[in-house]
Amino acid sequence: MYLFLDIFGYLSVVLRGLTLIAQSFTLGGLAFQMLLWGPLQPKLSVGGLVIEERCRTLLRFSAFAWALLTIASLALDAAALVGTLQLPWSEAVSADFGRADLVIAACALGLAVLVNGPAHRVRSAALLALSLLALAMQTRLTHAASRPDLRWPLLLSDAGHMLGASVWIGGLPYFLIALNGCKAADDWRLIARRYSLMSMAAVAAIVAGGLVMAINYIGSIDAIYGTAYGVMTLAKVGLLLMLLTLGAGNYFLVERLRRDPSTPILRLKRFAEVEIGIGLTVLLAAASLTSLPPGVDLAHDRLNWQEIVERAIPQSLPRLTSPDYDKLTVAQLQAKITLADAGRASAQAAYIPGEGTILPRNAEDIAWSEYNHHWAGVFVVLIGLLALIEHFRWGRWARHWPLLFLGMAAFLFFRADEQAWPLGPAGFFESFRDPEVAQHRIFVLLIAVFGLFEWRVRLRGSNAGPAALVFPLTTALGGALLLTHSHAIANIKDQLLIEMSHTPLALCGVAAGWARWLELRLDGRVHRVAAWIWPVAFVLVGLILLDYREA
Amino acid sequence: MRAFFQFAIFLSAIWLLAHSNASLAHAIILSSAPSAGATVSGDAVAIRLHFNSRIDHARSKLTLLAPDGTSQTLTPAADAPVDELNAEATRLSSGAWRLRWQVLSVDGHITRGDIPFTVH
Repeated sequence: MYLFLDIFGYLSVVLRGLTLIAQSFTLGGLAFQMLLWGPLQPKLSVGGLVIEERCRTLLRFSAFAWALLTIASLALDAAALVGTLQLPWSEAVSADFGRADLVIAACALGLAVLVNGPAHRVRSAALLALSLLALAMQTRLTHAASRPDLRWPLLLSDAGHMLGASVWIGGLPYFLIALNGCKAADDWRLIARRYSLMSMAAVAAIVAGGLVMAINYIGSIDAIYGTAYGVMTLAKVGLLLMLLTLGAGNYFLVERLRRDPSTPILRLKRFAEVEIGIGLTVLLAAASLTSLPPGVDLAHDRLNWQEIVERAIPQSLPRLTSPDYDKLTVAQLQAKITLADAGRASAQAAYIPGEGTILPRNAEDIAWSEYNHHWAGVFVVLIGLLALIEHFRWGRWARHWPLLFLGMAAFLFFRADEQAWPLGPAGFFESFRDPEVAQHRIFVLLIAVFGLFEWRVRLRGSNAGPAALVFPLTTALGGALLLTHSHAIANIKDQLLIEMSHTPLALCGVAAGWARWLELRLDGRVHRVAAWIWPVAFVLVGLILLDYREA
Repeated sequence: MRAFFQFAIFLSAIWLLAHSNASLAHAIILSSAPSAGATVSGDAVAIRLHFNSRIDHARSKLTLLAPDGTSQTLTPAADAPVDELNAEATRLSSGAWRLRWQVLSVDGHITRGDIPFTVH
């Protein structure tokens, strides 16, 4: 039970993120079918049977996944209640969230079954009714449902926000299937134009719903940068801006396609691929945001602007000399922490079950962690710089930069877990009993394999094939995961300040991954620009790591 | 190369599963009686926890940890406002007590925490 409780919080966020993705692909697929494919099909030059079948398969799979993930989420939450309150299962499942989950799962299953048949008015009405019911129940699992005051404007905003995300982000895979299935420029033009209009309406719903929620849940300017909720909202806005930039590029291409049917649409498809990737990141960030208390409720221990600026401005050179393992060496820093802690007792702490107690950190711990981050920053800056140098004719030698990942992996292996072998008393195998050490070891293995892998891709050049896509996908995944990682529930200032540096890291990771994707998947000007963007993003990640401080 | 590609994807999936630090909770205390670190006098204390969310009272719990390490479960008042968890604690001896709360907000999030206080 304790092991389960230890991973409960993380599993909940992951399940919530996957559920939102499955929900978006289901509702987006239905919107695509009802608003685009159905009305347009008589005007298209292709019969579209293959396209229809592929879309239906994806839709069916998404709806089944939505049902299964919802049941898994219900089982997880109910198990936590049964385990901590010793309730009977029936009582745990019959809570408000349990009833909502059961209705959602039933609706999703109904959708999965109903999408199989041919288009029919009664069938369409049933699909619409099930979708709206599931969406309404989904709002029962959001902040809006638990607000003590007026709830209906927030419930409506949340529903509009999720529906907009579904139509736009969730509709993208179906849009790509349709573009790939059609061969005539007139068909592309009709499909792209209609999807563009749907997306604009969806963006309006996302922004309108988002604004209402931001006003109610954040409430003031200082809560935007002073609370974890505000910072995560900013990250979502940053991702939305990336999506809008790509969407604007596609809009202008569609307009050009209207004037000139010979316009190539490869860029449209590639941008749509990247939009799917960033869109999934937004949904993961949304799942993470759902788990945070609204900023407006956190009146104590908010960060102020001066504290953020003080933390962001480098105070000294990077810490490239390791602190002594055996004894405390930074007494002044310790005094500063003690002084700061003394003034921060006002906020009440809140934990999820099994989260454990956050151990106090002394100056040596902090110096140790900063040293690790700064050296990691050195590695990442070098990787970015060498990737930039590789662009020049005289810099071909720099293409071996992935080998630096091996150096970084070795460094992290020795330094990340000071309590474990070879530095600490815990033996190599014994240390795997600590889940955090096990995670770090897997992470180190991943970095090493990833470095070797990308090195091989570099040596093979344009013959690397789909293997070359592992690097951008893994980088973008890393960025997305950073957005779902730990948050300070009761807004402990130190944790929030650390998170302040993680959010730009995540955004840079996402930008780097998808820029590299575009470099690989496109030619021409976008290819050239993207080839410069991702190494610069890597350098920025390295610089943020070099500026990392915990006190 | 294909096997290597699949291996990398597999490792990415492990990384996804192994990266466990996230938390899921958003019912937090806006005010409480007694407040954290407070000193109360007498052997009875009216407990009132005011949250930022609607609370499922039937699936929430209050436990008192006595100075000698024993614990007693308190029964939350059924008629409390939707965002409050209230109870009466009686026969409290002098010393350092700890009120452990766990709540389920109506949107399905579980949160818990401790409020230390001293009985004088």
